[in-house]
Amino acid sequence: MALPLSRCCAWKGRSVFASGALSACGMFNGRRGRQTHPAGFLLGGDSGAGTRSVCHGRALVKEQHLYRKIYLNTTVYKKQNSLLRTPSRLMCTTRTKCCCNQMHSDKQYKDPYTLAQKDLKNLYDEIKQQLAVSSDLKEICDYYFDGKGKAFRPMIVVLMAKACNLHHSNSRELLKSQHSVGMIVEMIHTASLVHDDVIDGSDTRRGKITVNKIWGERKAILAGDFVLSTASVALARLGNNSVVSIFTQAIEDLVRGEFMQLGSKENENERFVHYLEKTFKKTASLIANSCKAVSILGNCGPDVQEIAYQYGRNIGIAFQLVDDVLDFTSSANQLGKPTAADLKLGLATGPVLFACQQSDGVQQTCYLAHQYCQEAIRQISMLHSSPERDALIRLTEIVLTRNK
Amino acid sequence: MSLTLRRMKYGTALAGAFCRSQILHSSSSPSSWAKVVSEAEKIVGYPTSFMSLRCLLSDELSNIALQVRKLVGTKHPLISTARGFVYDSKNNLQLRGLVVLLMSKAAGPSKTADPPLEGDLVSGIYSSQRNLAEITELIHTAFLVHRGIVNIMELTSSHGSLKDMQFGNKMAVLSGDFLLANASIGLAQLQNTKVVELVSSAIGDLVQGVYYENSRTDEEKVTDDILMINWEEQTFLSHGALLAKSCQGAMQLAKHDCEVQEMAFQYGKHMSLAHKAKVNGNQADYAKLHRIIKAGKGVSSSLDLCHYHGNQALEALRCFPTSEARSTLENIVYAVTKF
Repeated sequence: MALPLSRCCAWKGRSVFASGALSACGMFNGRRGRQTHPAGFLLGGDSGAGTRSVCHGRALVKEQHLYRKIYLNTTVYKKQNSLLRTPSRLMCTTRTKCCCNQMHSDKQYKDPYTLAQKDLKNLYDEIKQQLAVSSDLKEICDYYFDGKGKAFRPMIVVLMAKACNLHHSNSRELLKSQHSVGMIVEMIHTASLVHDDVIDGSDTRRGKITVNKIWGERKAILAGDFVLSTASVALARLGNNSVVSIFTQAIEDLVRGEFMQLGSKENENERFVHYLEKTFKKTASLIANSCKAVSILGNCGPDVQEIAYQYGRNIGIAFQLVDDVLDFTSSANQLGKPTAADLKLGLATGPVLFACQQSDGVQQTCYLAHQYCQEAIRQISMLHSSPERDALIRLTEIVLTRNK
Repeated sequence: MSLTLRRMKYGTALAGAFCRSQILHSSSSPSSWAKVVSEAEKIVGYPTSFMSLRCLLSDELSNIALQVRKLVGTKHPLISTARGFVYDSKNNLQLRGLVVLLMSKAAGPSKTADPPLEGDLVSGIYSSQRNLAEITELIHTAFLVHRGIVNIMELTSSHGSLKDMQFGNKMAVLSGDFLLANASIGLAQLQNTKVVELVSSAIGDLVQGVYYENSRTDEEKVTDDILMINWEEQTFLSHGALLAKSCQGAMQLAKHDCEVQEMAFQYGKHMSLAHKAKVNGNQADYAKLHRIIKAGKGVSSSLDLCHYHGNQALEALRCFPTSEARSTLENIVYAVTKF
C-alpha cells in the first residue's frame, strides 16, 4: 500500500493498543491489548487546556514529517509485518503489495476530481436553478452554492455511479437519476452545515462568513429547511421508493449524530465507540447511502449495493477522522473554518480520545483513518476495473493526505 | 431511574399537558368550537392530540424537554411554543391532523382505483392516511419550533442572558430537525413518491411564506390587484399549503382521481385562508386591504374575505358524498368563519 501519508504513523510497538481500539470499533479482529494511561489532555473547553493540546499537536506534526521522510526513502513495505505484533486480517502482505505496485503509476489512477469534472461542472448552477425563488431566500441559497465548495460528495457519487454502471452493464454513461443524486447529496450536506453553524455559533465556513452571522439565525435555519425540502422533492421525483427510504435514513442519522454530540459517556471504551458511531452518523452515513442509492438506480444487485455502501461508509469515516486531526493541528487560514473549534466546544474527537489514553492522539487517529481507507479499497476492488474505480481508490489517498 | 420509568414519567406529564380537554380557549365561540372538535374526534376514532405523542416520548425529545426547563424565565420563543401546545392560541389552527382524517373519511374508499387499494379501514380511514395526518402535525410543529429561533444580534438584555438564548436556539434547531427527520421517515414509509413530493414541497412553501412576510414590498408602488394577490399567495404559502397538500395527499393515498384530489386541496386552502382572514382582520396592515375589498371585487369587507373563502371551502365539499365526516368538515368552516 503506497504510504505518502504526511500525517500518518509509524508502526510502533504501540500497535497493541491500536488493535485494542480497533476491536472496540468492531471492525477488526485484533487482540484486545492493555491500554496505558499517561496523563492525557482534558476534554474540557477552557483555553488553557486548548492551547496546551494544540502545542503538543504541533510537535507531533513535526515528528510525523520525519516519519514521512523515512517512509518515502525506504522500502518500508517489507518491514511492515515485523513491526506489527498483532497482524489484523487486513494487513495481509500479498494484497497490500499488489495495491502498492499498482499505485506507483499515476497514469493508471486518474485524479478523481478531473475524472468527475465533466459531470459536475454545472452542478452548482443546476442546484441554484432548483432553488430559484425570490427575495432573501435566493441570496442565501446562492451564497453556499457559489461553486467554490469541494463537491467531495457529488464527486464520489458520480464516480461510484459510473463504476457500478460499468460493473453491471458495461456502460460508463451516467444516468440522469444518478446525476440528480449528486445534486441531492450536496444539497442535504449544505443544509446540515447551515444548521450546524447555528448550533455551534460558528462565524466562518469555507473561508466566508457564515449565513447565520449575515442574515441571522432564524433565516439561516429556515433556509436550511428550504434546501432540505427541495432536495426531498428532487428525491421523490426519482420515483424510487428504496432510494427515498435510504436517503431519509441518512437524514435521520445526521440529526441523531448531532444529538449524540450532546451526550457523553463515562467509560473510556464506550466513549470511543460512541465517537465512532457519531462519526458514522454525522458524516459517513450520507456518503454511504448515496453510494448505495446510485447503485440501486443503476439496477445493480444487492452485492454491488453492499460494496458501494461499504466503500462510502469507510471512506466517510476516514474523511471525518482526518478532519478531526486537521481541526486539531492545522491553522484556521488553511482550513477556512474555525479550528480547535471542536476542542473549544468540548467535543471529544479522535485525537483527543486517543490522547487520553496515549500521548500521540494524532498519530493513532491517522492510523485508524488509514485502516478505514484500506477497507474501502478492499471493497471497491471487488468491482470490475475501470478508470472510475481506480479514481475512487486514489481518492482514499487524497483523503489521508489532504491538509484542507 | 430506568429508561422505561423515565419514559413513563415524562410521558404522563406530556400527555397531561397535551390533553385536549385543557386546550380550547378559542376566544370567539368556545362552546361550538369545542363541540365541533370533540365530534370530529369521535368520528375519526381517537383524540388527535395524542398523535405526535409517540415522537414526543422519544429519548431525544425527552432530553430536550428536560433541558428546555432551564429556559423558563427567559424570553426565548421556545418556551412559548411549548406552552402553545397546552393552551391553544387563537392564532394557531391546531387541527391539521384532524382535518386530514375527516377528509379521508369523507372521501371514503376510491371507486375509480384500479386495482383497488388493499388495506384495512379503521373508522373508515386507511392506516397510511392516519400516518399522513400525523406527519402533517409533525411538520407543522417542527416549523413552529424553527420559527421561534432568535437572532442573536437583535437581542437585548431583557431577553435573558446570551448564553441562555444561544442554548435555546440550539434546542430549537435540534428538536425541529428531529421532528422533520421523523416526518421524512414517515413519508418514506408511505411508499408513495408522489405524496412524498407533495408534502415535501409544502415545507418549502412554509419557508417561502415566512420570507414573504418579512419582506413586504413597498405598498405605494403596488397596485390593488397585486396587493390582494400577494396576500392570498403569501398567506397560502405560510398557512394554507401544508393543509391543502396534505388533504390532497390523503386522497392520493386512497387512489382517488384528480377531481377528488383537487377538491380536497381546495378545501384545505380556502379553510386556512378563511381562518387567517378572520384572525388578521383587526391588524393595521389590512387597512389598505379593506379599501381594496370595499372597492368591490366581489367581496365587500374584510369579514366577507373570510366568508368568501369559507364559501369556497364549502363549495369544494360538494363533490363528497353526504356523511357525518363531511358535515363535520362543514361545521369546522362555520366555526372558523363565525363572528
